[in-house]
Amino acid sequence: MQSRARALVVLGVIAVAVALFAVLKGNDSSSSTTTTANGKPLVITIDKSGKPVGGVASLTVNHGGTIHFTVDSAVADEVHLHGYDIPKDVTAGGSVTFNVPATIEGVFEAELESRHEKILDLTVNP
Amino acid sequence: MTFPLLLAHALVARQDLPIPDWLFAWGASLVLIISFTALSFLWREPRFEDDDWRPLSERIGGLVVNPVTKGLAAFAGLFLFVLVIYSGLHGTDAPDRNFSLTFAFVTFWLGMVALSVLFGDVFRAFNPWRTIARGISEGFRLIAGQRAPAPLTYPDWLGRWPSVLGILAFAWLELIYGASGLTVGLNPHVTGVAVIVYSGITFAGMGLFGIDRWLERGEIFSVYMNMFSQLAPLEVRNGKLGRRKSLSAAGHHWTDVPGSVGLVIATIGATSFDGGQEGLFNSWINSWFRHIKDIGFDPTTAFRITESLILVIVVAGIGAVFWLGVWGMQSVDPDRSIGELRRKFGHTLIPIAAAYLLAHYFSEFVFQEQAQFTYLLSDPLGVGSNLFGTANSGIDYTVIDAKTVWYVQVGALVVGHVIGLTMAHDRAIALYKDPKEATRSQYWMLLVMICFTTFGLFLLSQGNG
Repeated sequence: MQSRARALVVLGVIAVAVALFAVLKGNDSSSSTTTTANGKPLVITIDKSGKPVGGVASLTVNHGGTIHFTVDSAVADEVHLHGYDIPKDVTAGGSVTFNVPATIEGVFEAELESRHEKILDLTVNP
Repeated sequence: MTFPLLLAHALVARQDLPIPDWLFAWGASLVLIISFTALSFLWREPRFEDDDWRPLSERIGGLVVNPVTKGLAAFAGLFLFVLVIYSGLHGTDAPDRNFSLTFAFVTFWLGMVALSVLFGDVFRAFNPWRTIARGISEGFRLIAGQRAPAPLTYPDWLGRWPSVLGILAFAWLELIYGASGLTVGLNPHVTGVAVIVYSGITFAGMGLFGIDRWLERGEIFSVYMNMFSQLAPLEVRNGKLGRRKSLSAAGHHWTDVPGSVGLVIATIGATSFDGGQEGLFNSWINSWFRHIKDIGFDPTTAFRITESLILVIVVAGIGAVFWLGVWGMQSVDPDRSIGELRRKFGHTLIPIAAAYLLAHYFSEFVFQEQAQFTYLLSDPLGVGSNLFGTANSGIDYTVIDAKTVWYVQVGALVVGHVIGLTMAHDRAIALYKDPKEATRSQYWMLLVMICFTTFGLFLLSQGNG
């Protein structure tokens, strides 16, 4: 086969591979609530099974802004904001609020520590 | 369904931001522009073909490589080896508070690659399995008056394939078993046990085929670090430290051993898999996971099966891109076989593999090394000791900001691309006497490298686990 023909074959294979990937990867239906901070805190509600209602919440703030969210929990646990390394205890039926200056850039998560349950995806953009 | 407990999380509580679209676009364009202009002004006579190793002066060479430094390195390697096993088995179960995980998977696994690229095959001096085996062999000689010959001859066709399998097994342990999603599979105890099991395999291999043969072919870490040391300007030969042209050694005989190209491809594939786990491949993993779980597997098993399949597909995909490039190149001169070209050009992927590692693990390394030299140094078992007074210091996540990480990531991929391309250019002009053929052959390697580099950039733009 000539170079030109082989080039076409290779390009064809790459196109098929990309298309196949797009089909195979499927749709990710995992839900999350996207909220940006604008004065009011994001509220994350934890149900009796210790899971966030409506899936893992997400919060995006810019460097220099404020990470502001409240956890209303039906179970007692420690809410841990990783990276910033801030633990706060919450009682069953109680709530706890985080109000933290966004000084570290990156992607972080908050968990119910003893359950290893992720409740928040936090993105701090530069 | 999301899987929050990847190993990187178990250790580092911060992940990189995906590179923004504008940076992806700049990176990709830069790669294309540099590639095509480079081909027109790069040199016309091969520069990397000759072996120009020459010893450094006795004074400098002897200062670095002498019985005292060798003994110290061997002792340090042995000490750290024992510490990984001991802290793994007897330290805390918290992955981030135990010396074993951070040392094995970050300080050693990533740090030693950097040392190998810069200074050559330094791992050889530290290798604890080599030290122990040589000690035993020496003991045998003193008692029996002669060395024990290896009972088996290592088959040539097997080459470095055991190490290729080993790299994939290591990646599996770290990225799939360790990230079993629902339970943290890779804890310090598992690490300690894995080191013991691997030591058993290594001593068996050295006992059957001879110490040096097994170190050159089957001992995963020696073979892996040796691959990266092929880029370095320093090498020890016959006990003498010498200089050689940077990047040149990789193309001499390294790929002549079967499985060598497979090793580079497995390295790029494993890094890509890790990079895509939470970004590009995330929804793919989740959708296959649901299907496999529906068959009737429990979640952890379903997750491991899914990820294992995808790891194999990613490695095969990386291999296929290289193979297709070589297949295309073969049309330039039908007298050269695909196998020959694969060997002749396989080494040009080593800088790409190094660039992928730097791009994907740079920030994790910077952050986790702070832990290594603060609380993990003073409290390796995580039991509350404070040997050096640094137990209460921790990781400062503000030492590098997101932009620095982005620039390092994109810079690493672009530089790796250029180096790979330069090595391929040098090989092409040495191989093809007709400059036209040389240029045409290079378009094929260029295609391969552009694929890898833009894929690498794309992985980074989709979020990096």
